Formats: sequence, structure tokens, C-alpha cells
Amino acid sequence: MLDLIKSLCALDGVCGTEEPVAAFIRAHAEKHADSVRTDVMGNVIAFKKGAKTPSKSVLLTAHIDEVGLIVTGYTDDGYLKFDEAGGIDRRVLLGKTVYIGKDRVFGVIGTRAVHLIEGKERDKIPQLWEMFIDIGAKDRDAAARRVSLGDTAVFGGEPFDLSGKLVKARALDDRVGCAVMMKLMETQLPIDCTFAFTVQEEAGTRGAFGAAFSVSPDIALVIETATSADLPSVSAHQRVTRLGQGVVIPFMDRGTVYNRELFSMLTGLAEKHSIPWQTKTRIAGGTDAAAVQRTRGGVMTAAAAVPVRNLHSPAPVAHLDDIENLYKLCALFLSEIGERY
Amino acid sequence: MTLEERILALSALPGPAGFEEGAAKCISEMLAEAADEVRTDVMGNVIAVRRCGKENARRLLLDAHYDEIGFVVTGHEEGFLRFAAIGGVDARMLPAAEIRILTEPSRVGVVAAAPPHVLEKGESDKAVKMEDLFIDVGLTQEEAEKAVPVGTPAVFNAPARAFGDGYICGKALDNRASLAVIIEVLRRLKDRPLDVDLFVLASAQEELGRRGAKTAAFDIAPDWCVVLDADHAKTPDNKRHDMKKPGGGVVVSIGPNMNRKLTDKAIRLAREKGIPHQIGVEAGDSGTNAAAVQIAREGVATALLGIPVKYMHSPVETLALSDALAAADLLEALVISITEGYADA
Repeated sequence: MLDLIKSLCALDGVCGTEEPVAAFIRAHAEKHADSVRTDVMGNVIAFKKGAKTPSKSVLLTAHIDEVGLIVTGYTDDGYLKFDEAGGIDRRVLLGKTVYIGKDRVFGVIGTRAVHLIEGKERDKIPQLWEMFIDIGAKDRDAAARRVSLGDTAVFGGEPFDLSGKLVKARALDDRVGCAVMMKLMETQLPIDCTFAFTVQEEAGTRGAFGAAFSVSPDIALVIETATSADLPSVSAHQRVTRLGQGVVIPFMDRGTVYNRELFSMLTGLAEKHSIPWQTKTRIAGGTDAAAVQRTRGGVMTAAAAVPVRNLHSPAPVAHLDDIENLYKLCALFLSEIGERY
Repeated sequence: MTLEERILALSALPGPAGFEEGAAKCISEMLAEAADEVRTDVMGNVIAVRRCGKENARRLLLDAHYDEIGFVVTGHEEGFLRFAAIGGVDARMLPAAEIRILTEPSRVGVVAAAPPHVLEKGESDKAVKMEDLFIDVGLTQEEAEKAVPVGTPAVFNAPARAFGDGYICGKALDNRASLAVIIEVLRRLKDRPLDVDLFVLASAQEELGRRGAKTAAFDIAPDWCVVLDADHAKTPDNKRHDMKKPGGGVVVSIGPNMNRKLTDKAIRLAREKGIPHQIGVEAGDSGTNAAAVQIAREGVATALLGIPVKYMHSPVETLALSDALAAADLLEALVISITEGYADA
């Protein structure tokens, strides 16, 4: 599982330019699923027959896009101007490296040296329009030869583990969900199941609208990551989720009030099988569920997630036990649906 | 090893000010290839000497500090590491930065910062203060206390690399690039007889106020010294007129902190040999080891050469390789010129 997550996180898939991730997942699905298609938005949708066709059809979703940057302009002296693709707290940008476009042009987000910044300015984060990427181009033409407007950029930095318990990787949100679905797809499933690997979640769940419409499921489970603020400086109720404390089963976030029956089913399964679980202690974040739930006449929708520190930054961190537990709970979920419906 | 390779190799060494041991060994080995003696002193300075064999020979010192800015662990909370800065760290670089903790073996951690949802309105325009930042190493409180004791040093985890139109980026280019230039010159002069004793000082603790150079300059007692250090290069978010041009050549600094004759000699040589250079005026303290060396003992004739570096004290310090090459060319010419001038002394 960890190797698969690292492989997935090495692929570039900033919101709107997800093809490298889609291709990787499609190749996997073609081996393990019964049918695979890519829709007009770029969602990869796979169907796999299981031991039983339940009376309610089931969709699992995870999004393949990640937050990143998008190039919006050049300066005369060869620097790039950029905007955020997906919601990024701009406090994580200074001093970071990026890879831009299909050719993975290397760049750095610099800022003038600390020696040259007066008093109060040192506490101020520059506005996004004041920031720039340095690709070592000598002028505008040299920059434009390497990078085109609209090219997207991923953060640099290699995946690594921390003390063998945590993993740091750029696109954990939501390649963790993708990896869980790909692993499930490799197994003999208890029920028929559709897997939607969605694009553009970070741009407002834009891929999930079409995917859920075309699949038109009765039940959906969104497999995701959830923000964690479990730092000593943050009071308990503000932490939202905590690493290593189990699968996050949300009752509600800013996009969705989750289906109560499925919420209870998931928490019950976790209790019954001694899988640690937690719920969000603050109504924060949102998932593809916001689109999926309100598809056609409405879809029974739940979510299960792994808590992630430094979400939407170059260095998200997740706990390996949480990932393993998420996989187990998702597998149990499919079996339980098979028994109930 | 080319100059570029040497800059990359030196950048990778961990050596925050006061905790330079992790860099000293490799630097000693590099210096030993082109010097007669290499030693490390009580302050952590690495000093190499190439003797000319003459009695009471004059002494020429080439200095580049080899320490870098960094961090030191000051406590543990819920398994996270509390830390303080060593030298001039820009706290705005830290959220989500990778940090190499210098335990044995070293381990990489991530600076964790509270996500936006726990902030008050307007707070995301403000830099996170150092006291609200923690290094996440994935340990429990008990494990962290044991594995990463208070006092453990750390540096940015930022591998150096070449990119773009001849640029290099990475941590600690301030001032390992200068040290790479000095080693390059030492190698170029390897088979050339000199009439002075040539000292190389890889000085410690510059980032904490030139503490290494102060004692080493006393100890070596040079007649002349050429200090090499990083200088501020122009960046697009800086309108100041006195920033150096990246790719514009080696900086020759002029001002009261530098010996005027030696400086003039450097400028004249650069002009004669067509070495790309730019003049940097320092009205007072140059902010470099030149300020310490110049007033060692009864005074040392000191020159200051600079390599323009963008984003100094960040994990993505950036310089043009051509400027480092120009620095090597000028330093080589300057050493030869000084030693020839004193052939009869």
C-alpha cells in the first residue's frame, strides 16, 4: 500500500491537468476491473463485478487531482507569476521548489533575503500577486520558451517516512483514497462496485458532478483525507482530527450532512471489528460528497478519510495505521452492503 | 571535480553555526588534496596551509565561512520538537519545510503549522511565529525526548541542483559556494611555486557574528586576507539600487572595511583580464568576516570578493555558476599578483 501511495504521489495531477495520474490508474483498472472508461471531464470510471449484485448499486469515489500552482504571466527579467490551483494557504509557499508543466521545469519560490526586510515587514506574508517563481531564465523570452501560460506546477520534495510510522508526500490528498480503491479493485469483491477516480475536486468537486450523474448510484462512499490540526498549540476541539487515532467518519462538513444510516453503519462496523475511528471535532472542509449526494434524485452518501497534517501544502503527513484501517473499513463496508441489500 | 560539482557537494554538508562537525571532515579532506597541513581549531575553524618553504615568509589568507544558518531543538511537546533559529532564519520559509535533524543517523522532519481554519481572520496575511511552529518527526513524546535530545542541531533539507540558464539553487550556498571557489583556486595553483605561505580558512560561526574568523585571524596572523562571501543579488521584489546583478560577475567590495590598495589591485586585475565583475560599495561594516579579520592583531590588509546570491538564508538560495567561475578567475589572479609582488620580501 505504501509503495502504491508513493508511486501515485510521484505523478503530477494538479487540478485540471490530471492525465498522468489518470493514465496510471487506467492501466491498473484495465488489469483488475471488468470495464473502464474515461469521461469528458477526465474522470476514470471502472466497474467490477462482485459475488453479488445488491439491490442498491454502490459507487466508491476518490479524487485524483491535487492542489498546485498555475502560471499566469512572465516578468521582463524572466520570472513567472502564478495563481493557486485549489485552495492553498499562501504561508506555505515561500522557499519551496516546484516542477512546472509536462517537461517538469524546475523552479523556486524565492523572496528577498531576510536581511533586506525591515521590522514589521518580516511578519507579513506577501500577497500572491507579489510572489514569483524563478526558473533561472535570463529574460521573458527564455522563460516563455520553457513554460507556457496555463501550465500547472506541483510542489517539489521527495516522499519519505517519519520514524516508520508516518508518511510525508506531496499529494496524499487524495492519492491515499485512490490507493485504497486500487487495492480494493485487486480483490474478489463481495458486491458489484463502480469506482470513480474523479478530477477537479480541488476546484469545487467539478469532476464528481458528471461522474455521479452518469453512474447514478444508490449508495456512494467518498474515500478521502481530512485536515488535522493536532498540534500542541491548538486546543483540542480545534484539532478537527488526530493522526494515528483511526479512520475519520464525518457526520457533517461544510459541504455535506452525511447520510445517517451509512454513518451509523460505518461507525458500527468499526466498533464491531475493533477498527479505531474518530469523527471531525469541527465542521471543516468538504469532499466530493457535496456533488455526489445531490445527483439526480439524491444519493445515500458517506465518507471515510485519513487524517492529514499540513493538508494542501508541499509536505502533508499521514499515519500508516490510519491508512491501513481506512482500507479495512472500506472493505467491510462493501461486505455489509452485500448483506443488507 | 568541477566547480559546479564541488558547490553541490559542499552545499549538501550539514553544518549550522556552532555545530559544524558534520561538514568539517569532508572539507578537511578536500583541502588536504592541495595543502601541506590541515587542522581544526578550538572554535571549529578548518585551517589549511601551503608552505612556500622560505623562512619568515609572508602570509596570505583566503577565508570563506563554512557554517550555515540552521536550527536547534529546544524542547518536546506531544512528540513534536520545539526549536530555535541559529543565525538569521526567515520564519516565513518554515511552514511545511523539510528539516534535517542532525541525530546519528540524521532524520528528516517536517515543520507543521496550524491550518487556516484555526486562524483568526486576517491572520493568514501574517507570518507564523517561530513559537507556533513545531517539527514533526513522527515520534511519541517519550521517543522524541530520547531520540532527539534538547540541543540537537538541524538544517534545511534542501538538496542543491543546477537549473535554468546556468544557475544553482540549494541551501548553504552562502557560503559553501565561496569555499568551493577557494578550493578550486588552491587546486589550480597546486603546481605553481608561491613566495608566500598560503593559508585557507574555512571559518566557523560566521552566522553568529564572525566568531570563528576572529580567533583564526589572530592565530594565523596574516599579512593579507581575501575574504569571499555571498552578496545580495537583485530579486524582482526588491527595488533597491545597490543589489548585485545575478550573472553580472564577481563582486569586488570597496569601502573602509576593505584595504583600498588590495581592492584596487583586484579591480585592476579584473579589468586587465576581462573577468566579469561588479563593484559593491560598503559604506561601513561589510557584514562579513572581512570586518573581523581587518582588525585582527594590529590590522590585516583585507579584500572582499562576493558571489551574488538570491534569496539568501533560504532553502532555495540561487546563484549563477558564471559568477562563481568569475570569482575563481579573479581570486587566482589576485593570489598570483600578491605573491609575485612580494617575491623579494
